[in-house]
Formats: sequence, structure tokens, C-alpha cells
Amino acid sequence: MSRHQLGEFEEIVLLTVGILYREAYGVAILDEIERRQNRTVSIGALQTVLRRLEDKGYLTSQFGEATNVRGGKRKRYFALTTLGSRVLRETQEQRAEMFKAIPRLAFPKS
Amino acid sequence: MKHHLPITPPEFFLRFFRWFCDPVLAEDIEGDLTEIFQRQVAAGHSKKARFHFSINVLRLFRPGIIKNFSLPSFNNSAPMFRNYFLTSMRSLLRSKGFSIINITGLAVGLATFSLISFYVYHELSFDRYHANADRIFRIVENLRTENELLLQGVSSPPMGPRMKKDFPEVESYVRFQRWNLLAERKGVSFYEPDSYIVDSTVFDIFSFPLLKGDKKTALREPFSIVLTESMAKRYFGDEDPVGQMIKMDYDNFTVTGVMADVKANSHFTFTNLISFSTWSRNNKDNEDRAWFWNGFNTYLLLHDAQSVEKVRAKMKDFLEKNIEKGGMYYEDLPLQPLPSIYMAEQRSWENGTRGNMNNIYVLSIIAVFILLIACFNYINLATARASRRLKEVGLRKTLGAMRRMLIAQFLGESIIVAFLASCFAALLAWVALPAFRTLVESPLSLEILPNPWFVMAGAVALVLFIGLLAGAYPALIISGFQPQQIFRPSVKGIYSHHNFRKVLVTTQFIISIMLVAGTWLVQDQLTLVRSQNLGFAKDATLIAKTNGDTAIVRHLDAVKNELMRVKGVVAVTGSNTVPGQSTTNQYTEIEMVDGKLSPTNINYIFVDHDFLTTYQIGMLAGRDFSRNVKADDTAAYIINETAMKDFGWTTEQAIGKKVHHGRGNGQIVGVVKDFNYRSLHQKVEPLMLALTTYVGRLSIHIESDDMPATIDRVQKKWSELIPYLPFEYTFLDEDFDREYKADQQLGKVSAVFTGLAIVIACLGLLGLTSFSVERRTKEIGIRKVLGATVTSVVLLIVHEFVWLILLALVVATPLTWFFIERWEQNFTLQAAINPLRFISAGMVVFTIAWLTISFLSFRAANANPTKALRTD
Repeated sequence: MSRHQLGEFEEIVLLTVGILYREAYGVAILDEIERRQNRTVSIGALQTVLRRLEDKGYLTSQFGEATNVRGGKRKRYFALTTLGSRVLRETQEQRAEMFKAIPRLAFPKS
Repeated sequence: MKHHLPITPPEFFLRFFRWFCDPVLAEDIEGDLTEIFQRQVAAGHSKKARFHFSINVLRLFRPGIIKNFSLPSFNNSAPMFRNYFLTSMRSLLRSKGFSIINITGLAVGLATFSLISFYVYHELSFDRYHANADRIFRIVENLRTENELLLQGVSSPPMGPRMKKDFPEVESYVRFQRWNLLAERKGVSFYEPDSYIVDSTVFDIFSFPLLKGDKKTALREPFSIVLTESMAKRYFGDEDPVGQMIKMDYDNFTVTGVMADVKANSHFTFTNLISFSTWSRNNKDNEDRAWFWNGFNTYLLLHDAQSVEKVRAKMKDFLEKNIEKGGMYYEDLPLQPLPSIYMAEQRSWENGTRGNMNNIYVLSIIAVFILLIACFNYINLATARASRRLKEVGLRKTLGAMRRMLIAQFLGESIIVAFLASCFAALLAWVALPAFRTLVESPLSLEILPNPWFVMAGAVALVLFIGLLAGAYPALIISGFQPQQIFRPSVKGIYSHHNFRKVLVTTQFIISIMLVAGTWLVQDQLTLVRSQNLGFAKDATLIAKTNGDTAIVRHLDAVKNELMRVKGVVAVTGSNTVPGQSTTNQYTEIEMVDGKLSPTNINYIFVDHDFLTTYQIGMLAGRDFSRNVKADDTAAYIINETAMKDFGWTTEQAIGKKVHHGRGNGQIVGVVKDFNYRSLHQKVEPLMLALTTYVGRLSIHIESDDMPATIDRVQKKWSELIPYLPFEYTFLDEDFDREYKADQQLGKVSAVFTGLAIVIACLGLLGLTSFSVERRTKEIGIRKVLGATVTSVVLLIVHEFVWLILLALVVATPLTWFFIERWEQNFTLQAAINPLRFISAGMVVFTIAWLTISFLSFRAANANPTKALRTD
């Protein structure tokens, strides 16, 4: 087992950052989660998770350009680190293995 | 594109966000917030956008986003505080003079403040010790007579019982009537002027602890008496008095109980209680029907405090139903809550001395003033000397101290000073307490204080408050120093608080001048009142009580003649009361100008033939009572000038007018000039004089160089004539002055505290001057080298204070004027406010201040300039 345990929301944020690739900053991540998962997320919730993931070393970030629409404030772009992508992959593999381990009979006939 | 003002996010929430957000995160999160906001605005939902923005900000207020507010972590802050304490103590010890000034000033201020608080607490605590205090009410009367409304503190015997019957809210009642009795047991004999007959319910209603005896039965039977501890001691020593007999006037009473002495904070006091039945068994008719016999004090106990309103609402019907409306009727019977009686507006026939709310206010103001002056001293000295702490503050700041920690340090320092001062103050107050008791003429027993923890908590709160009050401003100033000021001590930066100090010093002067001038004007008023010609001779007159002794009454003329033979005695007269003491107010019918008899209530003094001559009261018309006219004994009346004017008569008309009174019908034979038979707090009221042989007082007028010897001779004669009656005497003028006791006390107390206030203010001034001299040592040295004289140097230092005192005088004068004018309204005769008093007060304050200052300035001016200039 890995030491790295991801919470459900953490996993989604990591995935979204990955999906957006070079465009992953606050508002974009919010929009993407909202589009794909059909759930609204507050900036507060997202930002705390982003910082936590960054502290754990799964994400890295850098400032981008400032735009007018942001009141002259720069964007902070997030990107997956190697550790981040490995943790994400491990999580996916664990899930897949566990899914495979479910006996066929356990699934109710649909 | 439309041009309009850009819609902005809610300012408050934006600022809130910027305040709490971790600065590392702030930029991009604010960018995100703004982006979302703008997007919604662009979609046309500007209201929604603002709302969402606010909500988002609130939802960002969570751990992980909020910046680290905690102080930079000190692993162990104890050494820091130890260091603060140490530097504070060092700084206090380094300048011993200033510390002593500060601590002494504060201590005197605190001691004064606590003593006055104690007194004020005592005055406001009256009667609150009764368990039922909030449910007990005293019945008082607004009695309407033919020509006036009398506000009386008394009530009549049927009122209590009838109210209990008529009002379901009344649980119980108790009636008191004061009797002045001569007590005697086994040759020990004293007057007991504070004896009361009282209903047996007294112990249920009031919380007077009965130490011996049964409170149910003690006052049931006639001729039962309950003694207070001290009275029991007086007549029975260490014996158990219960069951024994004591003679009061002519009757023997059985002692049925002993109770604790009445507490000093009671609105009336007594030495013994006699069963009401002693009186009522022979006065059944009066008890039921004498609605206008106003010689009693009735207290009601209600079921609950609130129902007093209900009772009051029904009072009108009660009066109509029970009391026949004649020429004289009750307009109202107000109910006074027990704890309010002591401080209430005085009514006539009060059953004890009353407090004076004005004096309480004045004293409280003085107490606060003195405390303020002491605090100002601290503020002044601390800010003046702030520059001395510059290096310390600079170093601390360089090493990373934050401003609020420095504030805490300096506040802590002032609290330490306040604490030291309070220890000293406690000592001072303790030492001064006996003197203070004499000064305010109040027993001020410590037992009236609430429990000691409460007092301690109050003291601690006071110390903290004073520490903060005095320390806040200096702490702000000192902690605001910038470290680089050590190297570039710009004069402005450090010494710019000069103006603030001037304001404080001026305030101190204002207070001092107000107190000095106020005290002076109070004395002026009292001198005027006391030296006022009262219309009768009040000097060198002894008043001896006879208590209506039958032997004296029967042989009045013989007794008087015997006393007249004593060397030094020039006149003797007997009367039921004397000027300065209470008169009786009696129902009388008097013939008016139109010839009809008109009912009225008028004050009476019953006298003998020598009264007017002994008191040297002048006649205006008619004649004095005459021994040659036998009819005078019952049928002659003399009125005073005011009465004559009141009835609308001329001097000629007055003589011969008919008078109907219970003792006999007669006519007016003379009019006397007005004399102040009460104090100058009251106007002279109409008065009637009539002859009597029932004398309660003998007035003995003496003309002698050796007063004590004459009194001794009178006493000797007295004990020959009436050996069984103690010779108890007072001086008329002293009795009369007692009417102004509260005022004199105010004068005395304010004089003392004025002195204190000035001493404290001068302490501060001394400190301030010595500092300013110290700072200008070099300047003075250079001036002297360049040829300045001592005088010019002294003037240099003094001149700035002169302006402050002048300014203070200008402010203090109208304030004092206003307060004194209001206070003088208490008197019928007002002294003109003398403007010179203000000038003198200013001069006094100036002189004291000048002496204080010049003492130091002279020293500085006389010092050898080389010394001053060599110090570097």
C-alpha cells in the first residue's frame, strides 16, 4: 500500500489540473469541475485543497499573466508534479485492481 | 460600448478579504474572485455578482487561507515579562524623586477616593439591611390646610390598621410614636429621648435582631419594654434585664427583651421600644378615629414591592371613604419606599436626621477630581520623561519588539505604580479613617461593607482602571518612538506633546481654583447665616430639659427665682420648646378682617411671662403677656409679623382679633417682630405665642466672664432644687448651628479635600518643573555665562505657568459661580457671590504653584554654570 492517500475531492482536483494541462488556474478549475461533475464548488473549498496539494508536493504553481478582467491580478497556474502524477496513477491502479477483484457473482444481474 | 461607472465588488468584503488572507495567496485568489465577479456582471447579474462575491469571501474565511495572526511565537515568554518587570523597576528606582512623587500623589488620591467612596456607600446604604426593605413603605401626608399644603413625615394612628383592612396588598403595619422619657433604676437616671411605643409587629416587619425574649409576645402586654443592648448595659450592667423592672417617667415597665443596637445606617434610631398597648388601652377612641393626630410614624409591609402602585391608585377612594373632609384634609398619603427615606426631600416632623444628596454629589465630584489630578500627574511626568526611555524602546524595537508589546510593557509599568500606590493608599486610608469619621461626623462602621471579596475585587478593578487611565497615553507615546530617533533625536518627535501636557496642567489648575474658590464661598454663606441677626438673643443661653416635670410645673416661678439668684444668671424663662427646635402645629380658628372665624393650622410656641424679655424679642405692636392680667393665662395670644401680614392685617387691626383654640378662646394682645425660630433654610412662618406653665425647657441666659464656673453654680443649684432630675443642658447657639450641620460639614470636608487636591497638584508641578529645569540645565548655564540674572532665569521658567493659571481662572470662575449659586438656593438668605474670592483663589493657587516652581528654578538659576556646561 502507498503512503499517499487521496481524498475524493483532492483526487478530482488533481485530475482536473491534469485535464486542463497548461490552463489550470482557479476559475478554470472551478468551471471544469462544474462542467464535468455537475457540482458547484466554492473558491474557498478549492483554494484550501489546492494549497494542501501543493504543500504535499503533488502540485506546483507559477504566476501567469495579469489580465484586465481580473482587476490587474495575475493568475496562478497549477501543474502536476512527478509525485503528483505518480500518486494519481497509483490511485487509479488501486481502484482498477480492487474493481477487478470483485467476483462476477457479486454484481446483481441487471 | 456603454460608458458607465464600472461595477465594483463590495468594498467591505474586499477589505475584509485583504485583511485576513494570507499574503502569499492573496493575489491570485483575489484575481479569481474578481474574474468570477466580472463574469457575472457581464452576464447582467450585478446584484447577484455582489452577493456571490460576499459569500465567496466569507467561505474563504477558513483555516489554510487566513493568515497567521498569532504573535511570533515565543517559546517561553516568562523571561520577557521578567525583563519588562525588571526594566520597569529599574526605571522607577533610577529616578526616585519622580517615582515618589508619582506614587505619593496617586496614593493620596486613591486613599481620598476610597474614604469618600466608603462614606458615599454608607450614606446610600441606609435601611437596606432589612430583609424586607423593598416591601416596607412609610406613610406620609400631604395635608391641605386653609392657607397651605403641609408635607409631613408623620401619620395618624388609624391609618395603618384601616389600610390593612381595606387593601389586600398590605400584609402588615407598624406604628411608632416617639416618647421622651426619664428612665431610672437604682439611682441611675438618664433621659431616654429616643423611646418609642410600637406595635408588636415591629420584629416581623423590620430586621431588628431580638437577642433575648420572644418576638411574638415581647411587646404584647401594656408596660412591656424591649431595651437595646447599650441601654440594657446602662441600667442593668451585666445583669440579665429580662423580667426586671425599670421606671420610665412615672410608670414601671417590665423588660421583656433585649435587642441589638440599631445600626448606624438607619433613618431613625431608638434606645428602647415600649408596647403600643401601653398607650392604646386608654386611647381606644383616638386610635380608631383621630385621623388628624399626626404624631405617629406608620410603616406598611406589602405582599410584594410592585403592588405599591395598586395601593397608590386606590388612595383617593380610601381617603374619601374614611376621612371626613373638613377645613383641613389630606390631599394624598404618599408611600415612601424604606431605602429612599434617608435621602428623600425632608418633610416636617421627620423621625431622625436625614442625608443630603447634594453633599453626596459634591463629595463624589471632589473624589473624582482628586483622582484625576493624581492621574494627570502620572501622565504628565511619564510623557515628559518619555525621552529617557528612548534608547530602551529603540533597542527593543530593533530586536523585533512589536508596538503592542511595548504598549503592554508601559501599561504594565503604570499598573505596577498604581499597585504600589494602592498599597500605600490602603495604609493611609486606614490611618486617616478615625479622623475622617470625625470630619464627616458619621460612625462609618466597617460592618456595613459587603463581603471582603467584593471589596477586594473593587479595589483591584480600581487599581487596574487607574493604571490604564494613567498609563494609556504615555504608553502610546513611548511605544511610538522610531528606533532611528536615537541617532537623530528630532526635537519635534520627542517633545511634541507639550501642548497636551499644558492642557492637563491647566485642568489641574482649574480644579484647584474651583475647589479653593468654592470652599471660600461656602464659608462666606455659612458665616452670613450664622452671624445673621435672628431676631432673638442666642448667645450665652443654656437650655436645660425639664421634661415637663410636675414639680417644676407647679413651682415654676419659685424655681426660676432660685435660679435667678445664682451669680451670673440674668434671665430665666420656661417654654415648651426653644428657637431652633421643632414647634407644634395646631388647629386654630382666627377672626379674619371680615369678622368671620377662619380655621387654620399655625405653629405654636408655649411660653411663660419672661420669654420675650429673656430672648430679647422686640414688640411691634400691643403688649407682652402680663402677670397682672389674670386672663392672659388662657386667653392672650401674641402673633409674629409674618402671621400678621399673612392674615392681611395692619398692626392696629391685629390687636384684639379673636382666636379660638382648644385651650381657651381669647384674643391677640400683641405682635412681635419676626425671629427665626427655625433655621435660615426655611422662611419664617406664621407663629402664635401663648402662655403655659407646662414647660419642657428652661432657658437660662447668662452674663458672665467665667462661663464654666457659672454653669457649675447653676448645676449645683439645680441638684439642690430638683435632685432627682439630671441637669442636662445644651447651648442655644450650638443647637441652632446644628441646623446647618450638613452645610458646615460640607464646608469643613471640602476645605480639607481642597488642601489635599492642591498638595497633589503641586507634587505634579514640582515633578514637571524639576524635569524642565533638568532638561534646560545647559541652556541656563549658557544664559548665565552670557550675563543673565537669576531673576530673568527664574522668570524664564515660571512664565509659561502664569498663562496657564490665568486661563484656568477664566474657565473656573463661571463654573464655580454656577455651582455655588445653585447651592445657595438651599437658604432663604443668600450671600452675594464675591468676585474677589475668585481672584484670591487664583492668587492662592498661583502663589503655591509659584513657590513650588521657583524653589527649583532658583536652585537651577543659582547653580554654577560651569558645572552645567561641563557635564558632557
